[in-house]
Amino acid sequence: MAQSSKGKLNFRCPSCFMRDIDIDMFYDSDKEEYYCLRCCFHGNEAQVEALNEMARYRYGRLKMRVADFGEDNVPATFVSHKRGEQ
Amino acid sequence: MEKQLALNIIHRPELSPEYAERALGGRKDVTDESLEIFLFQQQAAHKNGLKTTIHITYASLFSDEIVKVAKEHNKKYGDEIAMSLLGLPCKQFKEKYKTEDFCIWMFDEKTKMEIIDDCFSLFYEKFGFYPQSTGSYFLDAFCINYIKSKYPSVKCAVATCWEEGPKAYHTCNNSWYTFMDGGPWNPWIPSKINSHCPASDKDDDSGIVAIPHLSRDLMACFDGNGSNFGTHPQNVLRGMIYYNDNGSIEYPYLYNLIDQYRHLEKYNDGYSYNMMFVGPGWLNKAGRWEAPYELLAKSYEDGMKYYGKLKKQGKLLDLTMSEFADYYRRRHTDYKMPECALWKDILYGSDKQYFWLADPTKRLCLDFNQGGAMVDLRPYVARIPQKTGIGTDDVYDASYPYLIQINYRAGYFTHYAGAGTIKSCKVSYKGESADLCLCRTMATFEKTENGVKLTANPVTVTIKGLDIVIKSTYLFEKSGRVVTTREIVNDLHGEEVTIEEYFTGAFGTTEYQADMTKLTLGVGDTSMKYGYLGKSISSKQTSKPLVAFVEIPDVTTRVEMGGDVDELCVSEGIAFSPVYHLSVKKSLQKGGVTTWLNLQKAN
Repeated sequence: MAQSSKGKLNFRCPSCFMRDIDIDMFYDSDKEEYYCLRCCFHGNEAQVEALNEMARYRYGRLKMRVADFGEDNVPATFVSHKRGEQ
Repeated sequence: MEKQLALNIIHRPELSPEYAERALGGRKDVTDESLEIFLFQQQAAHKNGLKTTIHITYASLFSDEIVKVAKEHNKKYGDEIAMSLLGLPCKQFKEKYKTEDFCIWMFDEKTKMEIIDDCFSLFYEKFGFYPQSTGSYFLDAFCINYIKSKYPSVKCAVATCWEEGPKAYHTCNNSWYTFMDGGPWNPWIPSKINSHCPASDKDDDSGIVAIPHLSRDLMACFDGNGSNFGTHPQNVLRGMIYYNDNGSIEYPYLYNLIDQYRHLEKYNDGYSYNMMFVGPGWLNKAGRWEAPYELLAKSYEDGMKYYGKLKKQGKLLDLTMSEFADYYRRRHTDYKMPECALWKDILYGSDKQYFWLADPTKRLCLDFNQGGAMVDLRPYVARIPQKTGIGTDDVYDASYPYLIQINYRAGYFTHYAGAGTIKSCKVSYKGESADLCLCRTMATFEKTENGVKLTANPVTVTIKGLDIVIKSTYLFEKSGRVVTTREIVNDLHGEEVTIEEYFTGAFGTTEYQADMTKLTLGVGDTSMKYGYLGKSISSKQTSKPLVAFVEIPDVTTRVEMGGDVDELCVSEGIAFSPVYHLSVKKSLQKGGVTTWLNLQKAN
């Protein structure tokens, strides 16, 4: 069994990312999975990507563009971002 | 023209970037790739009509090609050629200095001077002039003063990464030693004594204009990883703040962030600023942060495209660093003029709002989601003469100390044993109390003759069936005092309530508290030494107004509170809760109470 290595991209541990820790995972080619050295997370690429998608839950305005910062004492207003627009 | 966003774009040819060397496994083509990245960045700026500042690294000084390109781009595009004190590591540097260290502020003083002289002499040899701009992730006062004394042409420097400290360290699994938080988020003129502090007058002026490394989200970076939320497209990818729209990767947050910085002109007499500085490692061909090279490159091009679009619309002024220094000096003729930012959440979907202020006496943040509580406070007035680097007491920790930092030291307290650092207000009625920290509101900014003023939307606290509607205003005087008024705006029908303005503080640069036994607390002429016994001193107000105070020798600071109040109190904490408390209170049936907070340098 050969030692583990970085994968094709530096996939970070999704579990640690959700607690604000960036730690690259290593790839175990025998088990065909990524695993974290710090916590117990392990999973294949599809699982990692699905969890990365989940990690975005906190970004409530991820797909929104500010329409107007408005008056100081009221929240800004937003509109849906349109693909390719700035 | 008055309301243009001033922009600095900086590109740094490294030739042997650590990231790329590691990522490419020491392949021989690291140098070629690094050069390609630099040229790609330059091209991305130029094709959008933007000029740059080229930060020549130590390694680049040994490359005839980089020197040639820099000269060409200076001539053709007006790019400035500057000397970087980042990107020191290369074969020549390591052989000469026999070290793997690479942060200029971490070397001993003798080596700092040697490296600066080496860099600037080589620069002169290659270009025939001394640079006007320089920089690093952090530049301490020692380096700035030395550079200015030996190379007076220097007028601008990258001198800090905003709120890069314990959070960055933790994010990198406790391995990234860039402790430099507590500084201004936008450009400033650094003090000769401590580069974090804006200069108080001409005598204190170090002679340069400092700019931050990146323009960072003033809410997201206070709460979370600083390296995810800045005007750095690959930071935004690192934070996974993008989504896939039918094959197109979209990141409107980057544009929202730039736009909020543009919006800050409202609070700074029409002035606003942005800085983008992406090192080559972030664009390496092997990809980074789950993002393939193609996405890294696209995001960089999109960032430049947006700046270019703003420029075409007349909303942006692209400047080299030295041009910006002149521009800044023209607009900032009063050293006491504060930098202000009333910042709204643009990412999470909350209605949170922070107010940041930096002036020569302090940096502070109010959180209007916590009723306008002070959640961060740095005593710039103390001009703490910090030294960093090998041979000093702080080899790597260059952060400016806090007195209040709610994320390192708890803030409004949510469990049963202890207290957290925060300045807020409690309202009491018939033996029960409520803290304004639990009243979510927003505020309006205005400039006054004596400083700047924030007025919060009134909030209601309900205690034992009595509604008490309170309007809070915060006046930040040019003298440095913070004057807070809590006004009862409804009819209490003769009922009496007590308003207590309190300050729970600590000191330090990390989450951990140093020894507090050197502290002295007092009210008027009565004082005590901190002893972890939970002792208090309180006094009724006298005809000669009293002051509640704490003196903290470790950070050469004295904190004072007073005002139109009935009673003043100070108390120490205990070993389990190493904080100190100052409070002033008044009982009233109508009207309001005005209190003040003042910071002074203590010897």
